[in-house]
Amino acid sequence: MSWRRFFRRSSSDGELAQEIGLHLAEEIDDNVAQGMGVEEARRRAFLKFGSPTRVREEMWKMNSVAPFESLLRNVRYSWRVLRRNPGYALLAILTLGLGIGANTAIFTVINGVLLRPLPYADAGQIVHLDLTATKLGPDPLGLSVQEVRDLREQNRVFSDLAEYHAMTFTLLGSREPERVVTGVVSANYFNVMGVKPLLGRLLIPADESVTAPPVLVLSYAYWMKEFGGDKNILGRTFEMNDRVHTVVGVLPSLPDFPDADDVYMPTTSCPFRSAPAMIANRDQRMLTGFARLKPGATVAQANTDLAGIINRLTIAYPKSYPASAGVAAEAIGVQQELTHAARPTFLILLGASGLVLLLACANLANIALSRQLQRSREMAIRMATGASQWDLFSQMLTESMMIALAGGVVGIVIASISSTLLIDYAAHMTTLATGIRLDGRVLLFGLGVSLLAGLLFGALPGYIASRVSLTNLSDAGERSTGSGSGTRMRSLLVTAQVTISFVLLICAGLMVRSLYNLLSVDPGFKTANVLSMEVRLNWTKYKKSETSRNFFHQTLERVQSTPGVQSAALSMDVPLNSTMGPMTAGIAIEGQPLHPDEVEPQVNFELASPDYFRVLGIPLLAGRSFSPSDQVETPPVVIVNDRMARHYWPNEDPIGHRVAAGGGDKKTWALVVGVVSDVHQYGLDKEPGETMYFPVDQAGLTNGHLLVRTRENPLRMATQAAAIIHQIDPQQPVTDVKTLDQLRSAQLGTPRVTSMLLSIFAAVALFITLVGVSGMLALTVARRSKEIGIRIALGASKQNILRNVLTGGMVPVLTGLVFGSVTAAFATRALAKMLFGIKPDDPATFVAIAIVFLAVALVGCIIPARRASKVDPMIALRTE
Amino acid sequence: MLKGTLDMMVLRTLITGDAHGHTIAKVIERTSEDVLEVEQGSLYPALHRLEDRGWVSSYWGASENNRKAKFYRLTAAGKRQLTSETSRWRQMARAIALVMGEATGGEE
Repeated sequence: MSWRRFFRRSSSDGELAQEIGLHLAEEIDDNVAQGMGVEEARRRAFLKFGSPTRVREEMWKMNSVAPFESLLRNVRYSWRVLRRNPGYALLAILTLGLGIGANTAIFTVINGVLLRPLPYADAGQIVHLDLTATKLGPDPLGLSVQEVRDLREQNRVFSDLAEYHAMTFTLLGSREPERVVTGVVSANYFNVMGVKPLLGRLLIPADESVTAPPVLVLSYAYWMKEFGGDKNILGRTFEMNDRVHTVVGVLPSLPDFPDADDVYMPTTSCPFRSAPAMIANRDQRMLTGFARLKPGATVAQANTDLAGIINRLTIAYPKSYPASAGVAAEAIGVQQELTHAARPTFLILLGASGLVLLLACANLANIALSRQLQRSREMAIRMATGASQWDLFSQMLTESMMIALAGGVVGIVIASISSTLLIDYAAHMTTLATGIRLDGRVLLFGLGVSLLAGLLFGALPGYIASRVSLTNLSDAGERSTGSGSGTRMRSLLVTAQVTISFVLLICAGLMVRSLYNLLSVDPGFKTANVLSMEVRLNWTKYKKSETSRNFFHQTLERVQSTPGVQSAALSMDVPLNSTMGPMTAGIAIEGQPLHPDEVEPQVNFELASPDYFRVLGIPLLAGRSFSPSDQVETPPVVIVNDRMARHYWPNEDPIGHRVAAGGGDKKTWALVVGVVSDVHQYGLDKEPGETMYFPVDQAGLTNGHLLVRTRENPLRMATQAAAIIHQIDPQQPVTDVKTLDQLRSAQLGTPRVTSMLLSIFAAVALFITLVGVSGMLALTVARRSKEIGIRIALGASKQNILRNVLTGGMVPVLTGLVFGSVTAAFATRALAKMLFGIKPDDPATFVAIAIVFLAVALVGCIIPARRASKVDPMIALRTE
Repeated sequence: MLKGTLDMMVLRTLITGDAHGHTIAKVIERTSEDVLEVEQGSLYPALHRLEDRGWVSSYWGASENNRKAKFYRLTAAGKRQLTSETSRWRQMARAIALVMGEATGGEE
């Protein structure tokens, strides 16, 4: 028995026939030679040989690979069956294709983000270090130069510890002056991250010295974008911060982590980081740390070690680590940090799409079951002619497997198209999204899912088919199949379907309501017709606050006088635009002294020009806005938001009171001149914080945003505004040009897509279930038509019949709803973190969806039930 | 005919030279003085099996009566197999002879 022989069966059978023919001929010749008549000689020869056919059959069997043989037969048979029912086959393939496609597309993202190893050597060993003030809030504090040094010297868990921060500098020497995001790193940073250069070299300890010539390492993306991957880039020089920097290397393609850095420079090249005051000040925390765990060390051990170090530091420098702030160091695995935002969403989506596929399988099993019942005669005949139960079972399974594999092919095509959309969506949650590909693992997943689906919807009908009894051959066969295991199995399937789709509907319902809540959040400002653009001044050029003030004044004046512009303003940040948390500062309130052990209260602070509130449409609740006369030489003023006013001056008018930002001994008191209403500055889902606004002119602004309220489409103003800025300073880059409407939509993008996807899954689930319920009932009615005819003949009213059939249809639905509610109560907990303004066990959602579900199911049942009530008893009985 | 002995006898027949199926059957009959009458049909599955195991090889040639016939040839592996099979058979025959109370082992 061998595969070679298997495929040569026919030709070797031919040879055998020839051999036998020769044998018989020789034998006949021999016999004739012995003096027999030709006829007798022939007879003898055949007698002696035995049956040639039997010999050939024996040889044929010897050459066959039995399981493969039967598989081939099954495939051929299934092909014929499916070709005779192209409608069913097409429906099944499409249904499965959609289900498998959705699953595969989502898996593509999961594969790319959660399963793919990071492009860092031993990525599991890399941790991100930061300080947090546990008692003040979740936002990281950062690390100071001193702290990085202390952690590096005192830890016992890291083999190496690097520092990192990102800044934007102006790079001169490229085609035009450019703002580049610069990773400022210690020389060992790339060793800690486990990255090798693509070109040239990365940083070495000698680079990190005040006297060393400044060097740059380019990121792959920047190198490709700006220099088209030019290999001669090494040795090219660029001017940054008034110094000449030489490119020494190019990085391979990496995720945009920690930031989307264009270039990297050593810490000594950064004018801020290398300033002696910065190095000496333990409280200036502008850095963050990355470290590589020693082999065998865990993140938990690292955290214990860090806690010990912070304890020692707290004793040594009590002022820098006030007990009231609860400063703690935290190490987080980089892998976790990169994936934590996308993980729950995509796992939930995969769960949902998996359930939809399961539903589709249940429906197909249901359809296959009813086809099965129609085919029970055929099965009985096959059994009577010698097919074993296994033969029938494997035959049914082959049929479903063929459909499933065809569905898998359709699904993979769908996945390859739809995954590009999903990747954009994933990019909101993780920087790893850019590297997502449809690779071998995805294909394997698609194949696996298809096989599983085929098994799921083929096994049950196959099992039923294999239990067909021969009584089906008698003419009673058709009738007796109305009841029995097939019907029971189908109503069980319907119950399961209802359960699953109810859970999905609840999840989708919660997400939609959460989205609605988000949409109805009043951001506190008017987003329509406002354009924002980022203007980050080159700090070496605008070293004096006077020059930057002049630049901004000119810009504002010229923009304001442009036709179509209603008003223009400057600010530090644009609401809903910040990727980072708020800038906070400790404050003191005149007349409200702190207890010695009390924490200095923290508020957010913003910078704003006089027209800021008018441009954004933020209502002024009391007092006045900033005016052009609030200048450096005039007394400092501030505007507080409503929340802050209520907190600190609950029963009095805050106007006229004085506050000081940034505690310490030398306080600069500023007069509260106005109160504005609250703004959702850092996210629609985040409560507005207590906020203090300082005038741009008094506080000084180098990196700001220009905000323009226009009469018409604000994007039309973009080029004009940029041109004005270039008139004033041709070397000044303008970036991040967006309308406030765009910013608001971007905020809603992720929840919108999540709830949209979940809703689609839920709608498909509902539809599938409806088809399932209705189909099951229709079949039952068809099978029971004689019985119903008899009932009607015996005097049952139409209502009786209708009620009877409806009950039969709705019982599995109601049972499913009960199971579904219980399951959903648990399942929705996974959603809790994604919901805004709604609890995962929101009773209103549960009730509303249950009602919708019942209504839809009822409609689905009414059609077959009405058909039942219209059965003509005469026809029903005559067909007997 | 004893089970498993057909293969051995076919191999033995081929030691004197290549032969086609009919010749092999005839030779076995004749050399056994017509005691062992091969059911000729079962010869072919046996040949097929032997070829599968690499003990004989086959080629198409012309028979004595100038008909197209498939000839079988003993391979080196077939010769080795024949040797071991023969000695096994001898042992068996001797053992049976002993049990049956005869003085000497049976010779082929």
